[in-house]
Amino acid sequence: MTTLPIDNTLDDPTKRSPLVLGHDDFASVTNTICNVNERRRPPRAWYICFAISSTFLGILGILIGYLFWTGVGVWGNQNPAMWGFPIVNFVFWVGIGHAGTLISAILFLFRQKWRTAINRFAEAMTIFAVICAGMYPGIHVGRVWVTYWLFPIPNQMEMWPQFRSPLLWDVFAVGTYFTVSLLFWYVGMVPDLATLRDRATTKFKAIAYGIFALGWRGSMRHWHRYERAYLLLAALATPLVLSVHSVVSFDFAVAQLPGWHTTIFPPYFVAGAIFSGFAMVMTLAIPARQWWGLKDFITMRHLENMNKIILVTGSMVGYAYAMEFFTAWYSGSMYESFAFVNRAFGQYAWAYWIMVSCNVIVPQIFWFRKARQSILIMFIASLLVNVGMWFERFVIIVTSLTQDFLPSSWDYFTPTWVDLVMFAGSFGLFLTLFLLFIRFLPVIAIAEVKAVMPQANPHADHGGDH
Amino acid sequence: MPSVDQKVQSKPPSNTYWRSLDELADTQEFREFMYREFPAGASEMLDSNERRDFLKIMGASFALAGLGLQGCRRWPEETIAPYASRPQGRLPGVPEQFATTMELGGVGHGLLATSYDGRPIKIEGNPQHPINQGSTDSWSQASVLDLYDPDRSRVVKKGGGGSELSESKWDKFNSWADGHFKALDEASGKGLCILSEATASPTVLDMKRRLLANFPMAKWFMYEPLNNDNEVQGMRVAFGTEYRAQYHFDKAKIIVSLDSDFLLLHPAAVKYTRDFASGRRADGPDKSMNRLYVLESGYSLTGANADHRLAIRSSDIAAATGEIAKALIPEAAIWVSSSDIDKSLIEQIAKDLKAHHGESLVIAGPRQPASVHALVHLINQHLGNVGKTVTYTTRPDSQPHAAALADLVSEIDAKSVDTLVILGGNPAYNAPADLDFASKLSSVANTVHLSHYVDETSKLCNWHLPRAHYLEAWGDARAYDGTIGLTQPLIQPLFGGKSCIELLAQIINDDIKAGYDLVRRAIGGVAGDKDFERHWRRILHDGFVTGSAYPTVSPTVIQEEVGKLILSSSRGDSTKGSTGLELVFAADASVYDGRFANNGWLQELPDPLTKLTWDNAVILGPKAAESFSVASGDMVDVSLVDGSKVTAAVLVSPGQHPQSATLALGYGRSQVGRIAEGAGFNFYKLRRSDAMGFVSSATITKVSGKYKLATTQHHHAVDTSGGKGLQKRLPTIFRESTLEHYKKEPDFVKHAVHVPHRLSLWEEGNLTGANYRWAMSIDLSSCTGCSACVVACQAENNIPIVGKDQVMRGREMHWIRVDRYFKGTDAQTPESVALQPVPCMQCENAACEQVCPVAATTHDRDGINVMVYNRCIGTRYCSNNCAYKVRRFNFFDYQVREPVRDGGIMAVKPSYYTRPQSDTNILQQLQFNPEVTVRSRGVMEKCTYCTQRIAEAKINAKNNLVNSKHSQDLVHVPIADGTIKTACEQACPANAIVFGDLNDPTSRVTQRHAHHRTYEMLEEINPKARTRYMAKLRNPAHSLNGHAADDHSGGSHSG
Repeated sequence: MTTLPIDNTLDDPTKRSPLVLGHDDFASVTNTICNVNERRRPPRAWYICFAISSTFLGILGILIGYLFWTGVGVWGNQNPAMWGFPIVNFVFWVGIGHAGTLISAILFLFRQKWRTAINRFAEAMTIFAVICAGMYPGIHVGRVWVTYWLFPIPNQMEMWPQFRSPLLWDVFAVGTYFTVSLLFWYVGMVPDLATLRDRATTKFKAIAYGIFALGWRGSMRHWHRYERAYLLLAALATPLVLSVHSVVSFDFAVAQLPGWHTTIFPPYFVAGAIFSGFAMVMTLAIPARQWWGLKDFITMRHLENMNKIILVTGSMVGYAYAMEFFTAWYSGSMYESFAFVNRAFGQYAWAYWIMVSCNVIVPQIFWFRKARQSILIMFIASLLVNVGMWFERFVIIVTSLTQDFLPSSWDYFTPTWVDLVMFAGSFGLFLTLFLLFIRFLPVIAIAEVKAVMPQANPHADHGGDH
Repeated sequence: MPSVDQKVQSKPPSNTYWRSLDELADTQEFREFMYREFPAGASEMLDSNERRDFLKIMGASFALAGLGLQGCRRWPEETIAPYASRPQGRLPGVPEQFATTMELGGVGHGLLATSYDGRPIKIEGNPQHPINQGSTDSWSQASVLDLYDPDRSRVVKKGGGGSELSESKWDKFNSWADGHFKALDEASGKGLCILSEATASPTVLDMKRRLLANFPMAKWFMYEPLNNDNEVQGMRVAFGTEYRAQYHFDKAKIIVSLDSDFLLLHPAAVKYTRDFASGRRADGPDKSMNRLYVLESGYSLTGANADHRLAIRSSDIAAATGEIAKALIPEAAIWVSSSDIDKSLIEQIAKDLKAHHGESLVIAGPRQPASVHALVHLINQHLGNVGKTVTYTTRPDSQPHAAALADLVSEIDAKSVDTLVILGGNPAYNAPADLDFASKLSSVANTVHLSHYVDETSKLCNWHLPRAHYLEAWGDARAYDGTIGLTQPLIQPLFGGKSCIELLAQIINDDIKAGYDLVRRAIGGVAGDKDFERHWRRILHDGFVTGSAYPTVSPTVIQEEVGKLILSSSRGDSTKGSTGLELVFAADASVYDGRFANNGWLQELPDPLTKLTWDNAVILGPKAAESFSVASGDMVDVSLVDGSKVTAAVLVSPGQHPQSATLALGYGRSQVGRIAEGAGFNFYKLRRSDAMGFVSSATITKVSGKYKLATTQHHHAVDTSGGKGLQKRLPTIFRESTLEHYKKEPDFVKHAVHVPHRLSLWEEGNLTGANYRWAMSIDLSSCTGCSACVVACQAENNIPIVGKDQVMRGREMHWIRVDRYFKGTDAQTPESVALQPVPCMQCENAACEQVCPVAATTHDRDGINVMVYNRCIGTRYCSNNCAYKVRRFNFFDYQVREPVRDGGIMAVKPSYYTRPQSDTNILQQLQFNPEVTVRSRGVMEKCTYCTQRIAEAKINAKNNLVNSKHSQDLVHVPIADGTIKTACEQACPANAIVFGDLNDPTSRVTQRHAHHRTYEMLEEINPKARTRYMAKLRNPAHSLNGHAADDHSGGSHSG
């Protein structure tokens, strides 16, 4: 098999284009990917990014200390908007944490082989996003020292949590999701960890990777067990993709607040989550493939596929926005109708229209192939989608809370500097973890990528790689 | 009894028993604790003997062994010291109530003070008192907080010669006073002047008589910034002598208020509110109710309750009164010149008044000139109201206040004042600006100021003496109807203050010095019966002298004098500039004349109409704001023709006349405690002695700068989506109708909203088998929106104040609030105002309970939605899901955090981190109701229907049942209706709030809930609320409200 000289990712009806470019053998794949971890020094960009992100992480830590010491009043939360930035950020991060498992589990089950280039990456992103998300409800409660009462731990008070509360469901949903995602990510990484172990140049690295490689030797039996486990975990993780954000949406849908109390929320939240998750994958993948020379693995075809998903999910979200208006009008409830009209034309109209522009209008550019293939356009679009999705959560939470039933309680929510800096700090946490991941763990699933290379398919010449 | 002054220590070395290890060790904490808790015996207990020294060392080892770990705990360390001998009648933990009287502006309020283990913690109205009848206004409710104000003056201070005040002692003052007043005595009091607040206290007047007898050349002046000079003068013209008008709103069918806020700012507002409200329920067989017309420049609480309100400049009220008089009294046409005011409403008023001979009532406000008052008396007489809705009694003699102060100033100018004793009051701050009292004061050689605070006046005096709070000292006062009330102390002066009468006794070197004896002597003089001891005990118990009201007189108005006055005053008027902007000075609903400025409850109490807290502002109407191109929060220069100028913030408020600005007095204090520091603007600087009520020809110019105003309710402009949404839902939230429509369709509230079904997805909590079903009913027809309930709740339930910066964040903690809505699409002239108290609805289908992840809020057996503070972790989901937004969250440890105006970037002061138990907090904690948990930060709280009062009633009822022979059924103990009164219900002067048991078919609440005016707020979401409202009825005149019959509040039926 000869190397294709150009990036042939155009859809050729007679032949599927290759998923990996520019590599004539497995060894070069291993070399390229392991080089990210094995090179003596990461690129300068990594240092700069790490310095910035770890600074923000440090600030986040200090602010959490400040918060614990004084009380949640340091945020802008108020009556009636008892939930403000922390919960907006929580939902935002949980949403981002969706693409990873979707790519790994659902696309795996559907045998979408193009996922292999980005799945490790996306899963890592999921884990870190869920860590950022999980942090918020934990520090958000008024008395952090008794947060553990949220968990069903047998205790001397003989008190269980209140199982009717969606917040409790959240604890279970996010907890399960995190656990399964972590397991899935880790299990998938075992063969690659063993590769790194085998290639280790220092004793320390060999031991460290060795411990996590769980004694992987690459025997047929190992592969057999591994593939079974991976398949099972994929099957386990698949419903979670749908459930976790559905449950998060119950936090709102189960409440009686106009603008929250709608049955459309579970699918709408899931679509939105996938939408934002893919956008975040794009945001991270585009610079990473540039800086680490992974363009052959994360090819234009991958990016284009993801752009298509962004287009689809963005349109679904747009449909949901429209549908909300219809339901509000159809309900005949004065409070419901008001909640939605007020979103679009009330005191937070600016936030609403940022949301609509970023989430519905911007992705429409991906109807054009030129746009789907332009790195610059897709990078900007992915950033805007992230902005838009953050505003979606802001709009849902803040507009509904600030103007609910009794106009006497209506107020205008303004965040404090702590809100803003902590949000920036959560990005610090996310990026710090992500940069460490890039530095020390295989960013692309080496073993899986090899399996989708033309060489891995003995019947390649007989047409089709299905 | 010794005082709490720690420096005063007598040493009877008798105590050999010790009560705790700390006492043995005799630690500093224990000493402080003893002084704090048992001031009476503290000095005896804390005798330090040298033979105990080794025990101290032992004590230190206890501390090392672990007793000293308080730094690691979230709760304060407490030490218990039992009584060695119990004071008579006191059971530890059982509160006692004492009848007492608070004097405000020369008028007494009959109160009951609850004392808990020697600490007064709560003020209620005295149920037997003819004026209060068990209810109070917000000032009386809040007065208990002043007692524990850490900023109150604690020591005698000496200054003079322009130097700063420095700390001194009573001993030093006493020795100075002994010599000084003895010398004055020899000079028959030449050069001695006394300046007191308005008072009708028999003891003070007795002391005044004695002083003037002792010092024949001394002079006594009375000054009160919020006075009734005009009223008295009008009375003098109308009757030739001074009487006091007593109004009987319960008997009036047509009430016309000419710039009078008789529902809030009248000295007898508590009684007038009750009487007025009783005429608003339309419950009688003929379903009649009174009709209130209000003519005023800006919204007062009375105006907000009007059936017809005309926004008219305060300076045009005289003309309007003249028009009314012309229509009623033929002779009036001779005196009253014609005016160009809008006559459509005037004609209607006159028609209504004519039609209700002897059943109407016209009342003028204290701002209005004497001519208006005189004319109002004449109108009432013509209408046959005298003796029916208006009666007259005698009144204590009084000099006009502004004139009195002017006299004093001229005395000072004539250098004939050598010694000036100022008994209370703060004239350096609140005297009319043209008198320039502050600088005059400095020129007096010897000045003594007795005051609760080291205030603006104290700063300028040679001696500042701490004044005892009314809960600390004996005294008396006369209620508005003249009933003598006794002021009974509940506690020794915390800071060793003295009362007026004690100081006076010292000055005249009276043979008795103690307040108790002085009051006894004076009351004995008035009551004067032979069996005085029994009588005295009765008075002590009741709190007032039965039958001591001023005698009723039936005077006749001298019509010609009234005519003359009106002719002369209208001539005077035309020379005054009547165009341009007028400034109207108003008493503040929170701080009154400024005396309550350092009271946190009152500072944080939203103004009934503007909902402004922590500040005052220039209230401008929307049109005026437009013409000056200013908006709320903009700074303006308010200046008068004479050049005086105040720079202040603007607050735009609907219903304010375009050529009138309302300025609330009492803010902008320069020398004041921490609470009031920086609060608002001092409009006394614009108030002249010849224009104490309002002044014309003012100018307003916008200047640069913005000011943050903390309102608890936001204004939603009518053309915004919020404003439209508000107007659309208002008829279902606040249901109201006209009397006319109500008679035709008594169950109109049922049609205000269409509720298609009340199905539930799951089996609802079955509360039918409960022993009690507590519920509340709030009658919107009775409620005037005075907000006394808000303060009462705050006092009862240990609700913290949060400070201006937190109010701006919407974090105020009031468990009951009074919602205010302006109805209609024209902000300049709203159709009406809706005032609605909102406590927790105690929904049976409580949305808050469903969503709490830790079951911290649940239902109890009796149907109360209870909040378990200890279980709450503070997710705040309950508040989000509460449709009424009545839940309040402790974002900070508000009981520790200083209520700062501007938190700055850190939102809390550094002391928050280091001193959780500061001196300030300890003092304020003495006010806490021990029956109510003090909430820490991070927990949610809300109205509990005063669950502690319910528990107390249950325990009492159970005990009674056990003590009686029929103790079979201890499960369901009957509690008589009315036994339990929630704090809001108890304070409410309008009897708008009723609490009780729905299981009792005869209870008031059961009957009210069955009433056809009763509705459930937001019934569309099926909360099954236990707190329900009775719809508001209005009684507009038919001819003015052509579509009155159709104008019922009901929304459409087309759900």
